[in-house]
Amino acid sequence: MVPSTNTTSTDTSGQENPGGLSGWLQPQKNRMFILMTLAATAMFIPLVSNNYGLEVMTNVWFYVVLCLGLNIVVGYAGLLDLGYAAFFAVGAYTTGILTSQFGVNFWLTIPVAVCVSACAGFIIGGPTLRLRSDYLAIVTLGFGEIVRLIARNLEITGGASGLIGIERPSIFGFELSQIVHFYYVFLFLAILACFVSYRLQHSRLGRAWQYVREDEDAAEAMGINRVAVKLYAYVIGAIFGGVAGCFFAAKMTAISPETFMFQQSVLILLGVVLGGMGKIPGVIIGAFALVLFPEVFRDLGSMRMLVFAIVMLIIMLYRPEGIWPAKKS
Amino acid sequence: MSIQDILLQQLANGLILGSFYALVALGYTMVYGIIKLLNFAHGDLYMLGSFVGFIILSFLSDYIGSGWAGILCTMVLSMIVVGFLGVLIQRIAYVPMLSAPRLSILITALAVSMVLYNTVMAFTDGQYLAFKTDLGFEGVELGNVFVTYTQLTLVGASISLMVVLQLFVHKTLYGKAMRAIAIDQDACRLMGINVNKIIALTFFIGTSLAAAAGIMAGTYYGSIHFFMGFVIGLKAFTAAVIGGIGSIPGAMLGGLLLGLLESFGTQIPFIGTEWKDVFSFGILILLLVFKPTGILGKTEIERM
Amino acid sequence: MKKSLLLSSVSGALAGLLMLGNVATSADLKIGIMVPTTGSEATYGKDMENAINLAAAEINKAGGVLGQKIVTMTGDAACDPQQATSAASKLVSADVTAVVGGYCSGATMPTMKIYGDANIPMVIPAANSTKLIDINQGNAFQINSTGFDQVKTAVGLFKAKGIKKLAIVHQGDGYSEDLAKLTREKWTAMGNEVVAYEVVNKGEQDQSALVTRVKSKAPDAVFWTAYYADGAMVIKQLRQGGYRNLIAVGDGSNSPKLLEIAGKAAEGIYCFSNPTVEYLPAAKSFHTNYKATYKQEPDAYAALSYDGMKLMADAITRAGSTDKAAIIKALAATKEFTGIAGPISFTDKNTLARSNFVILVAKDGKWLLNK
Repeated sequence: MVPSTNTTSTDTSGQENPGGLSGWLQPQKNRMFILMTLAATAMFIPLVSNNYGLEVMTNVWFYVVLCLGLNIVVGYAGLLDLGYAAFFAVGAYTTGILTSQFGVNFWLTIPVAVCVSACAGFIIGGPTLRLRSDYLAIVTLGFGEIVRLIARNLEITGGASGLIGIERPSIFGFELSQIVHFYYVFLFLAILACFVSYRLQHSRLGRAWQYVREDEDAAEAMGINRVAVKLYAYVIGAIFGGVAGCFFAAKMTAISPETFMFQQSVLILLGVVLGGMGKIPGVIIGAFALVLFPEVFRDLGSMRMLVFAIVMLIIMLYRPEGIWPAKKS
Repeated sequence: MSIQDILLQQLANGLILGSFYALVALGYTMVYGIIKLLNFAHGDLYMLGSFVGFIILSFLSDYIGSGWAGILCTMVLSMIVVGFLGVLIQRIAYVPMLSAPRLSILITALAVSMVLYNTVMAFTDGQYLAFKTDLGFEGVELGNVFVTYTQLTLVGASISLMVVLQLFVHKTLYGKAMRAIAIDQDACRLMGINVNKIIALTFFIGTSLAAAAGIMAGTYYGSIHFFMGFVIGLKAFTAAVIGGIGSIPGAMLGGLLLGLLESFGTQIPFIGTEWKDVFSFGILILLLVFKPTGILGKTEIERM
Repeated sequence: MKKSLLLSSVSGALAGLLMLGNVATSADLKIGIMVPTTGSEATYGKDMENAINLAAAEINKAGGVLGQKIVTMTGDAACDPQQATSAASKLVSADVTAVVGGYCSGATMPTMKIYGDANIPMVIPAANSTKLIDINQGNAFQINSTGFDQVKTAVGLFKAKGIKKLAIVHQGDGYSEDLAKLTREKWTAMGNEVVAYEVVNKGEQDQSALVTRVKSKAPDAVFWTAYYADGAMVIKQLRQGGYRNLIAVGDGSNSPKLLEIAGKAAEGIYCFSNPTVEYLPAAKSFHTNYKATYKQEPDAYAALSYDGMKLMADAITRAGSTDKAAIIKALAATKEFTGIAGPISFTDKNTLARSNFVILVAKDGKWLLNK
């Protein structure tokens, strides 16, 4: 993740205007304080929680990464994507195949997964940019299904049973095997994703996305390369998904095509829209709601998903822009 | 079987399957044409149609049996019931959302879909129900191609529904109003058309067509399940897009085309059934890349 | 204002979550049940849960295990790998002594790592993909016969019926693909021909294209290796499409529902199955108890689930303590434990020592034991 995304953000961050910053300092300080408190709380959760709580919270961080990745495509660039699980699958399978069948070290698979998922983003982004948003929905959906079916049908991906025995990674000789280890890994990933998203949003590219989202023709008239900007969104979003997929594979040690169904893509999209598209805290809340709600109401049994769906419907009806929407400027 | 017979049989299979797809795709396309909403709950209305039909048939079968007479009555009744349900859903969930961002209304449609299938799941305990009818396997053999009477009747029924719809849209005042609203809602309001009523009518028709397809599926395939609308919803959506979403003849054409693609897709050497859907989706993507509006869709410039 | 409200509600939910599962009780013996109680496979899961609870109630009535009462706790695997891992962590966090459960192989696989790391003894009554054997860390015991045994039974029947050309159809999930692959390997290794090897997409209703393809290869038998729901439709449409030769289905299709949905099309088809309650003379009293308690017929995996719980209790008694390693040792040393579904001993791979598969045949809308 580091090489490609960081270059885009450092390239452009120098061009930000520092003049208006002083006025923002006060609330920024406040905001920093809130962020630090939240981060500290997140750091200390493992001290008070049992394994189940950790498992659920790890899942939350995992979905935070995925939702932030999709948010780049949907929230920033305003492109509909109903096949996001495909990128997540690409990352997971790259790690799975390389570690379990070729014995490659887990950390070495990440750059490979970044490249492969960027390519996947390029492949889906390239030919579809001419399409209108509703057509984009079906093309991305079709792409997601194609990736899942390929994973199901090929020998190297383990067919329908998927891959088992994926190696667990180790850092400096210390093997990540307990859930608490993965909790910190995913927490780190989530913070990294937040940071990268934040930098991207306030970069030149981020503003270009906003123009394109609001008015494509005007943006083009202003000299923004519409196609390149949209492609960036797909590629960067895909990389987020791919990296999340790598760690997902390492955590689960077994992956199968069932995880990457259309419903998974819908779930991630739900998190983005439910929380508030285009706004990082909104998307994080969306991811929280997505994972926590079904867990908290586990005791409802078969009615659980029904209650979830009804709550979702009510939220959309009363807050169509999401729980915590981005401010309109 | 010679290769010729196989291809002919697959042609028949494709046309039968395609007419189902077309029937469901029509609802998608009509709703999209009029309020630009991708109604993701459409597949679940198909499912609901078959469940309502199941309940009605189990009442009716005591009086008129579960042969063709019973099925016909069931179909008409549940088309009406589910049609009104469709209007109700539109009133509750979609009307308040008409001015919301496009994505929010899409998510609302997904939420409606989840509410529908989870409700049915809770009531049926997730069980498959056997849709019992008195229909047999008898059929006609045309050359080496075998088609059952049930299949023929179902195809006939869907074709006549489509013809009636086409007549309705093009020969009646309501149809004219529908077409007008699809072009410019505000202008229609100024011309004194009751836009809300016409939109509700569109939902009613689209939903009842899906319900009709649902009952046909129940009688033909013999089992119903809370999640049965998912796959067909996806396929019908694909069909509507292939034909050009918003276009009624496009949906019919797209449905038939997708049906044929799928049945011939299983017959391609070295590919086999596991690649069937990859093949259909691949063709869909290629088609959209070269003709971004679908086969019969109109080109329009979009502002989000 | 709104933000703080939101924040507090989120943290409230979080706190609630962390408390969950922390409700530890006294000296009861806690045993986890991991089955799908929601989702498409919920019917099987609930049936297994019922049978396990029935066994626990009987054990408690007879004085419990080592003087302790058994308390069961269910984790919903939902037949989904992600949900199953979180259910498994929930059970581990609740400090269960042992786990009985596992229906969908795909969802059971990632949980075996979690139970294995916690060294929790586990008895798997249903899931039987051969992949489970490879990832077993020694703590899990399969009391359903594995795919290998089923293939042996299947191939035996095909041979006895003089089949030459076989068509295999699966559903694109771990369990049915595993069975299909093993059957194909075995059948071709015996010098026979597999003329068609096809996949059905789960939930797709129209199979006419598949039927035409299969029919054009003129097989002597069609073997459906997946579950009953889609199986019923495939069988119905095969017969409708004019296929008249033998049809056989695997143990995932052993359900009266298959016969109900497929109707007369199912007449005469064969099913390979683990022993279900109605064919087990030893299960008479279980059958009546189950019907009396739950007001419904026990389904395919009820007997094995019941045995699983009884076996676990027996192993704990033999171990003489609730120490997990001791229980695992006792389970491995199980010798001819008399379950209602047949005697249980284990191979060195913790699978059932002898195949318990039987062949059923559909007659007049009922499954009968094939003589």
